[in-house]
Amino acid sequence: MFFENIKEAITSIFSNKMRSLLTMLGIIIGISSVIIITTIGGSIQSTLTATLNSMGGNTVSTYVEARYPENEEDWETWVYPTLEADDYVTQEMIDGLIEAYPDEVKGVAASSYLGSGQVKDVADSDNYANVNLNGVTPEMLEYMKLELYAGRNLTDADNVGQKKVCLIADTMAERYFNGENPIGEKLSVTTSDGNIFDLVVVGVYEYNQALFGKVDTSIPEKDRVTEMMIPIQTSFKLQGTEQTGYEYFNILLTPLADVEQATLDITAYFEEVYADNEDFHIYAYNMQSDMGMINTVINVITLAVSGIAAISLIVGGVGVMNIMLVSITERTREIGVRMALGAKRKTIRQQFVIEAIMLCLIGGTIGILLGIGIGALLGQVAGFVIQNMYSEYANYIIMEVHPSGMAITLSLFFSMLTGVFFGYYPANKAAKMEVIDALRYE
Amino acid sequence: MSEPVIRMEKIVKTYYQGKPNELEILHGIDLVVNQGEFVSIVGESGSGKSTLMNIIGVLDRQTSGNYYLEGQDVNSMTDEVRSAVRNQRIGFVFQNFNLLPRANALKNVMVPLMYGQTRVKTQKERAMEMLAMVGMEERAMHRPNELSGGQKQRVAIARAMINDPAIILADEPTGALDSKTGHMVMDLFHKLHEEQGKTIVLITHSQELAAETQRIVTILDGEIVAERGGEH
Repeated sequence: MFFENIKEAITSIFSNKMRSLLTMLGIIIGISSVIIITTIGGSIQSTLTATLNSMGGNTVSTYVEARYPENEEDWETWVYPTLEADDYVTQEMIDGLIEAYPDEVKGVAASSYLGSGQVKDVADSDNYANVNLNGVTPEMLEYMKLELYAGRNLTDADNVGQKKVCLIADTMAERYFNGENPIGEKLSVTTSDGNIFDLVVVGVYEYNQALFGKVDTSIPEKDRVTEMMIPIQTSFKLQGTEQTGYEYFNILLTPLADVEQATLDITAYFEEVYADNEDFHIYAYNMQSDMGMINTVINVITLAVSGIAAISLIVGGVGVMNIMLVSITERTREIGVRMALGAKRKTIRQQFVIEAIMLCLIGGTIGILLGIGIGALLGQVAGFVIQNMYSEYANYIIMEVHPSGMAITLSLFFSMLTGVFFGYYPANKAAKMEVIDALRYE
Repeated sequence: MSEPVIRMEKIVKTYYQGKPNELEILHGIDLVVNQGEFVSIVGESGSGKSTLMNIIGVLDRQTSGNYYLEGQDVNSMTDEVRSAVRNQRIGFVFQNFNLLPRANALKNVMVPLMYGQTRVKTQKERAMEMLAMVGMEERAMHRPNELSGGQKQRVAIARAMINDPAIILADEPTGALDSKTGHMVMDLFHKLHEEQGKTIVLITHSQELAAETQRIVTILDGEIVAERGGEH
């Protein structure tokens, strides 16, 4: 019976296409507006989240900070303490942190600048490459969102063994090695202060405009500076310093970690480790807290505008009710015949409620599809505009335009509810007809 | 003798009861129709025959008196049970066919099954059987507006027969047809009566049509004024 009613309803709706479409218009406009607005709101939000994440959202920035005096009067005599070798955060501390919070902490991205230098080709004095030497932990590549182009990344073993290995940029590799495979080749780097380091290339990373800026074409290609990465411990050794730990570094979190909680855990962990250090402690913070506020603002705006759009759903519902009343009057005879043939009142009521629901659901579905389409289009346009305005950050701005599943589900639910609410009164009117009056209706 | 299909005792129908324009249409009708009878109720328009038909067809309630359909007191039934009685025990054939315009012949014949308890699987077969009985199986997929008047009425008869009702109640079934097709429809009723032993109540204003039936009940001004044939 129920299934038959649905079929009947669809037949009835399609036998009056124009009228049905006009009736649905209110629902279509209401639903599509809600979908468009939630799509755009959601896209802005996820774009911000993704962009901020790509710039360190899923990391905790951490540094060694002096313990400032607690009392006002102590400030006058206070001098910033000098960082000693044992004030730095060591790899052992990080390993301990990972062991304590394996579900949150993945690793540490730390770097130490060694200086600028020039790679010189012994065989060909015209062939050279300008580089900046950076000591890094293996996680640095992931933190900077750099892709490995060839070879391998630096490893913990490289660090522990203070190996003289390096990663170079693909742009440099291509030019300096003239297209030949650079992996395993030995480079001789002369630093600006006159030291010469011999380094073996183990990997090539892809140059990233967003990180290093657009390629400056005003400088001849061979003079352009690229970043060369060596194990951070190797860098310390080459600098001749006693330092083996990190001062400023970023702690990488697992994808599922709660950034706020992780920040608290990291702070607590280091509070304990540095409990005996009178001069220094560790400060940790994250970008998530700034995003919380932005998200709240966007949510409020989305909700408010959606609410306004939802009003047209009510207007649409009244339209549905109106047309159902007309339809029932037109079909009084039919209702009479159905009753004479044995249709119970509740069956008649069900038939017309289902027809109203179907009308609203079809309208709702059209609205959703329209909303998804227009939302995607607007998202594309917005993405295009942003990419062009901030083209150097192109790789960092991650436009994510997708309709909100929640909004779609709610829209379907509410259009169905509209059908029930505005269809019940006309349907009930039909069900209450006296069979004899309905049958004789002219 | 077994319980008659229709037993009416002192049926009175009053409209606008208690109001200044109170109007008594039926003044105490006594009528018994037995199993297998082909009865016609004849009367001029305004005689009350349509009102009587509505009461027989469980479409309307009498103001007083008793009406037993197959021994059941119809008046005491709830709306819901009366719907089921109409669905299962009465087959209506109307003057203006009253087919559903958007449904084809087959669907129209299936409507009473839809409101009954029949399993969906057997519905189509049964409806086709009925259409074959009235010689309409080849037009099963046609909509009412693609059928002639006679064809429409045959579909309507197939629809009336589908739940194997206790009575076929035909209200001026030939009224909208020319005399030739009207005769064809009447022949169909005779066939149902003779071959299947159906109880048929024919409401008409036409003496000629009534003459074809076994028994004629003439109604005038809300009273039965003459009976011819039958066991009375």
